[in-house]
Amino acid sequence: MGKLQQIVGFRVGQENFGVPISLVHEIVPMMEITAVPDAPQYIEGVVNLRGKIIPVMDLRKRFAEAAVPARRNRIMVAELDGHMVGLVVDAANEVLKIDPEAIEPPPNVFEKGEVNYVTGVGKLSGKLIILIDLARVMQRGELRRISEVAASAGALPPAV
Amino acid sequence: MGIFSDDRANELRALFFESAQEILQALNDDALRLEKAPRDPEIVRDLRRSVHTLKGDAAACGYTDLSTLAHAMEDVLAPAVAERDPDGVVELVLIAADAFDNLLTAYRNHTDPPSTAPLYEKIARLRNPVPVPAFTPEFSWSAAELEEMREAASAKPVWQIALGIDSVCAMPAAALQLAHNVLASTGALLAIHPGATKPGAPETIVAALATEAPLEDLARKLKIPAVIANVHLTAFDPAALVELPVAEAAPQVPSTPAPEAPASVPAANSSQTEHRARDERMAPSENMLRVETERVDTVLDLVGELIIAKSMMHEAVAEMARHLAPGPLRTRATDTLTLQSQILHKLQRAVMKIRMVPVEQMFRRLPRVARDTARAVGHEVNVVIEGGNTDLDKSILDALAEPMMHLLRNAIDHGIEPPEERQRLGKPTEGTIRLDAYHQGNQVVIEISDDGRGIDTARVIQSAIDRGILRPDQAAHLPDEDALDLIFQAGLSTAAKITAISGRGVGMDVVKAVMDRLKGTINVRTTPGQGTTFRLKVPLTLAIIKALLFRINERLYAVPLASVVEILRAQEEEVHLVDNQEVLQVREQFVPLIRLRRIHPGGERRSKIFVIVVNVGDHLWGLVVDRLIGEQELVIKALDEHTINTEIVSGASILGDGRVVLVLGVAEIVEKLGRGQFTSSLRKAEGVQK
Repeated sequence: MGKLQQIVGFRVGQENFGVPISLVHEIVPMMEITAVPDAPQYIEGVVNLRGKIIPVMDLRKRFAEAAVPARRNRIMVAELDGHMVGLVVDAANEVLKIDPEAIEPPPNVFEKGEVNYVTGVGKLSGKLIILIDLARVMQRGELRRISEVAASAGALPPAV
Repeated sequence: MGIFSDDRANELRALFFESAQEILQALNDDALRLEKAPRDPEIVRDLRRSVHTLKGDAAACGYTDLSTLAHAMEDVLAPAVAERDPDGVVELVLIAADAFDNLLTAYRNHTDPPSTAPLYEKIARLRNPVPVPAFTPEFSWSAAELEEMREAASAKPVWQIALGIDSVCAMPAAALQLAHNVLASTGALLAIHPGATKPGAPETIVAALATEAPLEDLARKLKIPAVIANVHLTAFDPAALVELPVAEAAPQVPSTPAPEAPASVPAANSSQTEHRARDERMAPSENMLRVETERVDTVLDLVGELIIAKSMMHEAVAEMARHLAPGPLRTRATDTLTLQSQILHKLQRAVMKIRMVPVEQMFRRLPRVARDTARAVGHEVNVVIEGGNTDLDKSILDALAEPMMHLLRNAIDHGIEPPEERQRLGKPTEGTIRLDAYHQGNQVVIEISDDGRGIDTARVIQSAIDRGILRPDQAAHLPDEDALDLIFQAGLSTAAKITAISGRGVGMDVVKAVMDRLKGTINVRTTPGQGTTFRLKVPLTLAIIKALLFRINERLYAVPLASVVEILRAQEEEVHLVDNQEVLQVREQFVPLIRLRRIHPGGERRSKIFVIVVNVGDHLWGLVVDRLIGEQELVIKALDEHTINTEIVSGASILGDGRVVLVLGVAEIVEKLGRGQFTSSLRKAEGVQK
């Protein structure tokens, strides 16, 4: 058994995602989001986080998935290279410890030219957790195929 | 540097770099002064003092190349030298200032210092002048030759001889042989350039000769009719060149003693001046404290937070007042808050003042740029500076330096006519460039005007059509002021000829881009034959602005108050449609409208609208909003462009109740939602119909 990876797991719609704990700044209750005109459509707007104005992103829209009824309870604030970004999440779990051996490489659903923003698919007590590369998610440009990732990861034989 | 700890040494170096920049500026300033008042011994002494200080400081930091060069410079910065060759001294100081700057840059970046050899050559030439004005050869010898000459000089007088070959001489190559023979027959020939083996015909022969023959005899013998036109003899002084590493640096005499091409040197200078511009620090003064900009910015940020906290407090007290019956406690809370607000306001002003620097800091660099440019293109200009003590935020002023230099070069290159043409037109041969700065409300206006030929609007239009920027049918009814605005389009140059200085069609659009970034404006006025004025308007500071708050579809927005001309209340039926553009009549003018609801569609239509009239590039536009909230001072925070990527929102601010208000960029709104830039022809056409 390798060194356990610490992941913050969160749920958006049907999917469970995970990002390394080192990138997560904090998780705050939902607050008023000010819409920003002319911004990319996956940008929900900006929020005032104790005097700092940070952009907030909807991951489902980011991955160009259809909207599903979501509870949108929390904003998970991540920090990357000094840029802060909030992600609207339905629920954020506590810190998960995943054995690196239980992480499958990302399923090969990305076509040439597409940005592969999935670093792997973790399995923990029967649940699939899609580990995403926040740096790529925060970049501009189109991102797709998250449901295909989930589908093909689910089709894999369960890890031992 | 062993005596100091590393920290101390680094500190010392940082200090040196700052003071050195000031000295360089002083050298530039004084050289230009000397150019205006040639031979003024006071200015020469000032120059010498500056160089002396630089030498000492550089030596203390262990920068030997710089201190040696400064030392060599000191010797020629004497009133006597300036008396003899005033232009030479000015030229030398300016070139030296650039060389010093290059050395400093190299030291700072820990790169290899550039060669300063050409400078030593110039210094040597100034030290050992050749009194024949028409024929001014230069002598420089290799180390071996010098050694030989010094040795010979201990026994016999040694002459440095320069022979100018007659232009009528049919066989210049043979002339070298002839001269060689004559010299060899007169004394011991120590050195001769060019060597006899060198191919090609020389124009000048230089030689070193040890001989006891009297000067007159020598001159007579050497003046071979129809072969040697000029003879020049200087006694070799073994002591004179000892400390200068001339010989190693330049072992060969240039084949012609022609002055260096004037065009190439100033052109190179100006780019270096630009470079220096970025490094320039604060003006020198005894009572000044040097503080890193970031430290001041931290304080300013905190003041910004305080202002937000103050608004929160205001709301809390107002809330409390609603729940509490009037009484001493309530009064005391309100009074304290009022007092606090006043202090906070003063604090904010005070901190902002720290960031303010006089425009002078940027202006003073321009005369040098002007001089170099004028020299390069052969025009004559005088730069007049006014309003230099107008204060402006340092970051804004820094950002303006490059656009100003560009405008200045343009003005000299394309605006100011050549001296002959000016004379013919009855203008003074020397053109005047006027720089001015003044406050206008919360903005600073910087003007640069020339008294040159003005901008040929017809040519601008033609050029725009040629480049596909403008369609001929658009051009037909394009008002003059709009045509002038075309010069800010990328790729448009109206210069009749392309020069190295300007006129490559890049630049004006860059100037415009900088102004947009600074939330400033630029406009141009020109009168054919009389000159052109560029007026740059920038906000005093970028951090805190007065803004007008309003609602669009229940969402809160703001625009900078500085761009608001007036606020109107109107009924929907007053809005007219002209050429598919909604307009509102405001007194004599039709103002095109932009419905801001377009950025937040929906909401019920109201019969009453509010119109915020803004000024963008000297055109009025009406922004239609739902409801006005009022005026407020906002601490502007930038949005994370990396993620958000919006053009029309220029920043955001946090209100007292914690809500976020987005600040719209007025120019961007007009650009994105308005109908392009030619709408003013529409305005005019409307005026006619009326």
